[in-house]
Amino acid sequence: MSASARPEVVVDGFPARRPRWIELATSADHKDIGRVMIGASLGFLFIAVVELLLMRLQLSVPENTLLTPVHFNRMLSLYGATAIFLFAIPLALGLFYYLAPLQIGARGTALPRLGQIGLWLYLIGAAVLYSGFLWTPTEAGVNPLAPLSELAFLPNNGVDAWCAACGLATLGFVLIAINLIATMRRMRAPGMAWRRLPVFAWAAAIGSWLLVVIGAVMLAAIAMLLIDRNFDGIFFADGSGGAPLLWEHFSWIFFTGAYMLILIAALGAAAEIVPVFSGRPLSGRGTVVGSLAVIAVIGTLAWMQNMLTAPIGIGWMYFAMIMSLALIVPFGLILYNLIATLAAGSARMRAPLLFAVGAISMISIGLGAEISHSMVAVAWRLQNTVDSTAATHFALVGGSVFGGFAALHYWFPKMTGRTMGETLGRASFWTMAVGMLVAFVPLFIAGTDHGQVADAYKFFEGTGVSTENLIATIGAFVLALGIVLGIVNAIVSRTGGARAGHDHWGGDSLEWFALSPPEPHNFDVLPDVRSDRPMRDIRLAIAQRGERAEEARDAQPVA
Amino acid sequence: MAPHSPGTDQIDTLLWIGFVAAAIVIVAVNVALFAALRRRGGEGAAVETVGGRGRQLRVGGALTLFAAAILVLSLIYTDKAQQTPASGAAGLASAKSKPLTIEATGQQWLWRYDYPNGAFSYYRLVVPVDTTVELSLVSTDVIHTWDVPQLAPQRGAVPGKTNHVVFRADEEGDFRGQSSTFSGQAYAAMRTEVEVVSPQEYEAFIARQKAAIQAAQDRVVGLIENGEVP
Repeated sequence: MSASARPEVVVDGFPARRPRWIELATSADHKDIGRVMIGASLGFLFIAVVELLLMRLQLSVPENTLLTPVHFNRMLSLYGATAIFLFAIPLALGLFYYLAPLQIGARGTALPRLGQIGLWLYLIGAAVLYSGFLWTPTEAGVNPLAPLSELAFLPNNGVDAWCAACGLATLGFVLIAINLIATMRRMRAPGMAWRRLPVFAWAAAIGSWLLVVIGAVMLAAIAMLLIDRNFDGIFFADGSGGAPLLWEHFSWIFFTGAYMLILIAALGAAAEIVPVFSGRPLSGRGTVVGSLAVIAVIGTLAWMQNMLTAPIGIGWMYFAMIMSLALIVPFGLILYNLIATLAAGSARMRAPLLFAVGAISMISIGLGAEISHSMVAVAWRLQNTVDSTAATHFALVGGSVFGGFAALHYWFPKMTGRTMGETLGRASFWTMAVGMLVAFVPLFIAGTDHGQVADAYKFFEGTGVSTENLIATIGAFVLALGIVLGIVNAIVSRTGGARAGHDHWGGDSLEWFALSPPEPHNFDVLPDVRSDRPMRDIRLAIAQRGERAEEARDAQPVA
Repeated sequence: MAPHSPGTDQIDTLLWIGFVAAAIVIVAVNVALFAALRRRGGEGAAVETVGGRGRQLRVGGALTLFAAAILVLSLIYTDKAQQTPASGAAGLASAKSKPLTIEATGQQWLWRYDYPNGAFSYYRLVVPVDTTVELSLVSTDVIHTWDVPQLAPQRGAVPGKTNHVVFRADEEGDFRGQSSTFSGQAYAAMRTEVEVVSPQEYEAFIARQKAAIQAAQDRVVGLIENGEVP
């Protein structure tokens, strides 16, 4: 080296990384945001379980005085908001947001900052809901029906907090959904035609469109309720031109759509897991994707199924019934194809498949019971009873908890580079499955045979439902234990799980082509997608190349 | 829970149909799931044979038929459940031609019943047996639902609207009921009771009730006129 000095760049190593939490909090990367959403939603699952247990304790014996009516109603309202807005939707959306860009072979998202603000709106919404404990939490019920949620009947700020919390969270979900739609339209890898999209990515696209539509409806309704409460509005007041039923229409469009979204996410995940663990491509792939889209449209159009006792015309009731009974076809086709795929292959009975099968089973119970609730005259008997509580919980816990844990077990190696504990996973699955049946089957009986009403803070001696409720409470504790085991498994496995390879399960979609966990830019090279099973093509190509190399080596002269 | 009105009779039948439909779905899915897991699929079991377009259409067609059958049954029984039965022979004589109309008002957290001839009662509704009763449901505050499962379909009382429910009790006795839409703090306590009596007892009840209301009114007026109430 010559003595003459030349300007040169000197680097003392890389700039120090900021602390992990600052990285996470300021990151606009879809994987970081997805992970925070999934983690937060699991935290809120735990909180929802605690609230459910408190309510079940109150309902363990007749005319219990453990919780005052006011406290019970607060638990009920917080439980509803937490389970739907803070757990089930963000879990589905977090999985979509993490995985869909990877599955379509994108190096990021189209509008990353939109996703980032979406995450923060969700977290702020959650903080607002629970800040209600500083003054008064909402007492207006799972769906705060106007005019009960109007200022005249609940003058404290609880309902305002609910509005702000659910409004902010919903706005966040809509922003994330917009980003997902933009990403999936503009950033698919070369050759990744829509027809080659993995089923879960299709579920993400359908779910995002659905969220944009129903989210807008909910935001409008919440804005109207806030105007009613704070600026002397009359949207939902009776007389003077307002209409209490308007809130019911708007909110049920959202809640019915959210119900469908949760099932779409769960069935989409099952459609990824079942083929991989039975070693067969998904049967009727096009039918499954089409059915998911049909569910999103028709399912949401059945919103008036929740209003069959309201003073609406019988024609509207029949419309709701036709829409919800029509759902038998798409749901039936999806379940048929999932089961046919399982039957065609040999099942590798690992935890992801176990949870996926559990989700299918629980969802079938919920949807089967839901058939009765679609029949107008039966709804006149069963609506608002604990029978409908049980049906809803089988479908939604089946979808969001069982389906969610199936997805978590399946994609955990991709997200963290480690696998979730298999033994603990199985233990949590069986505990949850037993808990579900013990907790909710008695409620079918209590609702159908004895007409016990839903959402009530107590039931009376001599109404014939004491045994059912006691059993349900015991079941709820078993279910809670199972869920806690599952969450503990996820927490422990993040740092202590066995190391996983990049293609841990032998999946066929592109997320398994990335490293585990993926690099910030997802892929070093983008593959040319030639089929709907790109990762399988890559595996085959590598195997072939290996064979050719061996042939070449064998052909060389030894000397 | 035995039905005691023509409408709830139909609802009960449809409830059983719904139960059978649900049982078919749940058993079919779970048995198939179990069988599929038990099966060791051979290498030759090509997925094309289960997933082909013809098979999809056949399964879709079968599901459509199943859904259509439920829809038809459901329409038939829902229609039957709505048909207003005429008052029977043993019913109230004055209610033979048109139903006995009673106004039921939901208010946080009590039901009030206004009878056609000026009498009213709270919590307990007294109706004559074998007589067609039409309740006009209204609400003074939030949404309530009138739910006496043995006698009538659930119906919502929404402020600003009037909803109707028709029933004809076929037996004397007490029937338990409740409010079934979340309505705030004392929602669970917002119950009701329907006492079905003979037409003579009904007339006597109305007369008693009117006399009691008049007595209470006289007492209030008397107290005020005596200057006992400021």
